[in-house]
Amino acid sequence: MKVKGFIKDVGGASRVTKARLNAFETASPLPVREDPIGNVAREWHPGKLDLVVTEIREASKTAKTLRFEKVGGGKLPPFYAGQFMVLDFPMGKSLISRPYSISSAPWQARQDKGFVEITVRRSKGDGFICDHINDNVKVGDTFRGLIGCGQFYYEPLRDAKHVVALAGGVGITPFASMAREVANGTLDMDLTILYGSVSSNDITLKAELDKLEGEHVHVVHVLSGDEPDWPGERGFLTAELIRKYSAPDTTYFICGPQVMYRFLHGELAKLDIPRRRIRFEVFGQAKDITQFPGYPMACKDETYQLTVVRGLHEDVIPAKATESLVVALERAGIGIETGCRSGECGFCRTKVLSGSVYICPENDGRRGADKDFGYVHACAAYPTSDVKIKIPIV
Amino acid sequence: MNFYKDHYDVIVVGGALAGLSAALQLADKGKDVLVLERHNLPGGVATSFVRGGIEIEAALHEMMYIGAKDNRQKVGVFFDQLGIDIDWLRVPEAYHASLPGLEVTLHPGMEQFSREVDAAVPGTYEKVKRLMDLCATVYDSVNELSIHPMSKPQMLLKHAAFVKTAGYSTKEVLDTFDLPQKALDLIAPYWIYVGSGFSDLPFTIYAVLMGEYIGNGSYIPRKFSHEMSLKMAEKAEEMGVQIEYRQHVDKILVKDGQACGVRTARGDEISADYVICSAYPNKVYTSMIEPAEAVPAGAIKMVNGRRISLTAFSVILILDKPAEELNIKDYSIFRGTTMDTDKIYDELKGLGPYSYLTCICHNYGNPDATPEGTCSFSITVLPRVDGWKTVTADEYDRVKHQVAKQLIDDMSAYFGVNLLDHVLEIVIETPMTVAHYTGMWNGCIYGYAHTMEDHIVARLQTEEEEKFIGHLEFSGAHQISGDGMGPAVVNGRKAAKNVLDTMAKEAQ
Repeated sequence: MKVKGFIKDVGGASRVTKARLNAFETASPLPVREDPIGNVAREWHPGKLDLVVTEIREASKTAKTLRFEKVGGGKLPPFYAGQFMVLDFPMGKSLISRPYSISSAPWQARQDKGFVEITVRRSKGDGFICDHINDNVKVGDTFRGLIGCGQFYYEPLRDAKHVVALAGGVGITPFASMAREVANGTLDMDLTILYGSVSSNDITLKAELDKLEGEHVHVVHVLSGDEPDWPGERGFLTAELIRKYSAPDTTYFICGPQVMYRFLHGELAKLDIPRRRIRFEVFGQAKDITQFPGYPMACKDETYQLTVVRGLHEDVIPAKATESLVVALERAGIGIETGCRSGECGFCRTKVLSGSVYICPENDGRRGADKDFGYVHACAAYPTSDVKIKIPIV
Repeated sequence: MNFYKDHYDVIVVGGALAGLSAALQLADKGKDVLVLERHNLPGGVATSFVRGGIEIEAALHEMMYIGAKDNRQKVGVFFDQLGIDIDWLRVPEAYHASLPGLEVTLHPGMEQFSREVDAAVPGTYEKVKRLMDLCATVYDSVNELSIHPMSKPQMLLKHAAFVKTAGYSTKEVLDTFDLPQKALDLIAPYWIYVGSGFSDLPFTIYAVLMGEYIGNGSYIPRKFSHEMSLKMAEKAEEMGVQIEYRQHVDKILVKDGQACGVRTARGDEISADYVICSAYPNKVYTSMIEPAEAVPAGAIKMVNGRRISLTAFSVILILDKPAEELNIKDYSIFRGTTMDTDKIYDELKGLGPYSYLTCICHNYGNPDATPEGTCSFSITVLPRVDGWKTVTADEYDRVKHQVAKQLIDDMSAYFGVNLLDHVLEIVIETPMTVAHYTGMWNGCIYGYAHTMEDHIVARLQTEEEEKFIGHLEFSGAHQISGDGMGPAVVNGRKAAKNVLDTMAKEAQ
């Protein structure tokens, strides 16, 4: 084009229109369906998969490890060591979901006959489902499961190279995954696990963890029970003990029961650790919601009416004041997607149309605007009156 | 169980900004509308998420078409008229340009902007102001013509600048101003928001971009773009629109050449007179229409004849110090080792290193964006899909971290502060992240590239011939106005208008 030519040119619109039509005219008539970027997204996040139990083994006297493979075989989706999976358990007319940290390593999921494992201790954590897994589940049983959820994993652009994991009881599972991945050479960090147990003859995954001990993986068992002959560390995971195993720059990952979190908050505070170096796993469903600050005790024995709107359809079901909305829905067999069951991930985002709920203050991971419009994460919301909610159709 | 009505006037596939705008517009005219959204919240990428107790903006840098309270622009007017009351915060500057030999912060307002360019590159005021005025004039024409189409002679009379520049690329028009290189560099940074190199970017698009961003400034909602998306969804429901989340539409059902409903992944078949779809025409015409034979050959040729534009890669950091202590001084920083847009566009084909970075520190637009003592800082590259298409699932995490590290290292070097020593939270968003949450074709957020072969003026001219299936309209970045959250609203309203126009025509 001649410089300044456009000043007199009035044919531009026709020209670009012709160019457009010409481009279409000369284009291929064959449909192109490939969406490789979408395919990678789907390989990482395929949604719920049909999984079959292929192996069950003792993880301790009181815990079992269950191995799952994809029905029909093949690779399982990639995930990060430390993440959890969500398993669905149909129980009578109820449909109950639970998150379990994956105790196997990501590289094991990516083999041709890939697998993931969870390790579940009897009568710990969420009670009856744990017992159900220990007592009733057998090889060949199938489940629906969502693999690779949660934010509890090593992030090289955020975390220190030296990691001290503070594990209590069955809270060892995400660290077992990390240790396996480090030992395999596919996760670049130095991992020291301070693993608190009560007694030396009931340590979940002990034999398997001890086998992973190596240049970059160290497991330090810390016993709180009274065992005079125990040669190793004793007592609780105190500030002093934590300091002993720390490097100058260390990231701390913490997973265990709620009571351990309260204790460790105090101990870690003594160590003057920058906030960015401490990562707590979410602690799951509150054991006893009435213990949390601000819980309206007058409600605690009530059972309310919960009206559940899905599309044009409405159900009315009972909901106990001390159980989350998710539990009420699951009892009634009304499907709801859940993830962390700790108020964090938002899978169970729900609109409260009327009535009031108590939100567990330690489990409030909602967006600001959601709070303004009455949205709750149903796993962390407890009815304090008759309530009407709208949830997605599952 | 009946979750749905037997029939709707319109089904809107996708509850992001375009879909919600379409639904609002239709509900405002009394239509019975169902919105089906695959995610469990509205907005698509116009959303936020919470990490470590801190809410984080997912995508919005600056929203165009809002305007000040006393000078509302088209999207601002739309929201105001419907009573969608968003707490808009004005973005304090246009941008800080960090380019070879230039460290200049520029502000909106044509006069101020031109003065500031002149201060950095003396002697350019008159030319830059003339160029900005041309942009403003063309932009005004685009706005008016999109509402009141007119005949060619009329157009030439009233919108001469628009008509005369329509056939030229941004480079061709800028060349006529004979500006020194540094001034050209200073007025170029926003190009990435429309995503084509200047030799192929229609000047019309550049004019709209500068006319709006420099002319009227930009805005962000106080509670992140989720505030906007949610308030739109809430208003739509209040107006009688049914919105169902977690509903993935697999098929658009076509009978006698007309869309007549959809089928969802869970198997619901829902009937409607019209369907407005946010999925890319590429996906719709190649795998969503049932029966597949209802897709004419021209539709396939059309999508094959267009170029998919940019996707997004962002590293979002929550840092454990206030911004000023980390030498972060601006809301928006465009940093480049060159401002040759054609060269950068070429580089965006690959997987890095990327040399043109777009950074946002939300705290300067919204002091409450993060808790006291912390700040939010994001670094974004808007790559083409080509390179990312070659990444496999097993390579994905390595590539993602490699690119993220390059971006953080580059900006750390610039600030003289190692940002990696301050990371409270890090989120890396990739084209795959976009694909995962929104289902967008190849994770593309920009729709089709604005090019001289796919010119907005031509898009308007050939619009009617490109309706390959009756009663099916599209909304989203792949439509006439292209990418961006402001244009998404415009695209959605356009789809609704097309439906309303067809309804009126067929009623006669």
